[in-house]
Amino acid sequence: MSDQDILRRFEELEAGRILGDLDAEESKEWEELSKGSRCHMDLSLELTAAAIETEFLQSRDSVLPDKVLANLNEGKAQFITNEPDTETVVRPTLWLQLLSAPQTAWAIAALFAILFVAKSLVQGPTINSDPPVVIIPPSPEEARDQLLREASDLIESDFGGLERYDEMSGKVVWSDELQEGYMTLTNLPANDPAANQYQLWIVDPDRDEKPVDGGVFDIPTDGNTAIIPIRNPLAITKPQAFVITLEQPGGVVVSKQEVVVALAKAS
Amino acid sequence: MADRLQDDSDGGILQEVAQGIEYAMDHCISRYGGLVWSIAQRYVQDHSSAEDVVQETFTDLWKSAKRYDPAIATECTFIGMLARRRAIDFARKESRRPQLEPLPEGESLHHASVEPSAAVSCESEDVRAALKELPQETQQIFSLHFDEGMTHPEIAKKTGLPLGTVKTRLRRGLIEVRDRLRRLDGGQPFTSATS
Repeated sequence: MSDQDILRRFEELEAGRILGDLDAEESKEWEELSKGSRCHMDLSLELTAAAIETEFLQSRDSVLPDKVLANLNEGKAQFITNEPDTETVVRPTLWLQLLSAPQTAWAIAALFAILFVAKSLVQGPTINSDPPVVIIPPSPEEARDQLLREASDLIESDFGGLERYDEMSGKVVWSDELQEGYMTLTNLPANDPAANQYQLWIVDPDRDEKPVDGGVFDIPTDGNTAIIPIRNPLAITKPQAFVITLEQPGGVVVSKQEVVVALAKAS
Repeated sequence: MADRLQDDSDGGILQEVAQGIEYAMDHCISRYGGLVWSIAQRYVQDHSSAEDVVQETFTDLWKSAKRYDPAIATECTFIGMLARRRAIDFARKESRRPQLEPLPEGESLHHASVEPSAAVSCESEDVRAALKELPQETQQIFSLHFDEGMTHPEIAKKTGLPLGTVKTRLRRGLIEVRDRLRRLDGGQPFTSATS
């Protein structure tokens, strides 16, 4: 048997191993061949099998049973650190958000200020040095107002409080293009973050059948007006509604909607 | 050609999972939980065991996300592979399928591969295109096996083909699809077994 024949035979057996159809004799043959210097395994066949399988199964839209979901949420706790390391890779969607966020202008300004200071240090002290530049990030109100000025595709909708939250009122503004939005909420009762937190959900059927997480937030004091930035980890393309629920601290992946606080339908 | 391996939904979430960021883990469960559940049910008949497969797959994922290399596969395929391994391992206990090698500890998938190109394009459209290029009969066998979860004897019975033919066509079809995906990724066919 030539080297090429041996390699082809090994590949066929490797495919059988991945597919789980090796008989006892073939298993022994595979073991023998895999010890040889000519035959090495890689993951390509296994990845191909996984890619084919996921391609077929993805379209089934299976949903995890609640019990399994609860176990996963419990089991993940020991792996949570919530401390990005110094080499954090920002996801593309976040890049888009960062580039379009009003804070970016401030960050760029800060960068130029740092570069200017660094250049000054390299060139030596100057006689008329300026006072240090203090960069103050925009408040949520300023950021919202900037969005109102700049967004060309702004969606605006009023929140209506439900049941015991019927005294609350509010407005949501959202821009698909900038992937940025804010809620202005009045008379929403203060929450105890150790007991529960408010969570925003964005209904975007173009993206997913299930509402998309819009971020967890707190209302520190009763009776005031709070401006809350929307924090969407996923890109939103065509929001149909915004829903606020009350959830356990840290929020949930899928809301049971036991306490629906307010609803805003996009016009 | 790492860029072509990431679809819009991928977004590098596993890099954040590797850092233990909670919302990334939640996103992972939300996005891939259904898929992992489908794979578990496909291989494991017992409902309780299927639940264990899902739990253990995600535990594997929390531990091994740092070894994910986007140059090798999409996140979806990587997670599918972890689920498949875990499910087959459970099924093996029922004496149905052989055990697969565990992922090497402490190394990325890229380093785990001995040969220059373990990478294959796992984009949906590429996988679909590669499958369509298979002979019609092989496509049917693939559908029965990967979609409907039929065993080889069940496929032989349904199609009337000899069991050996079903086995051979599945194996060679898998190699053929791998080679097509590898070419799409810019790699070389038939290099995995060379020294």
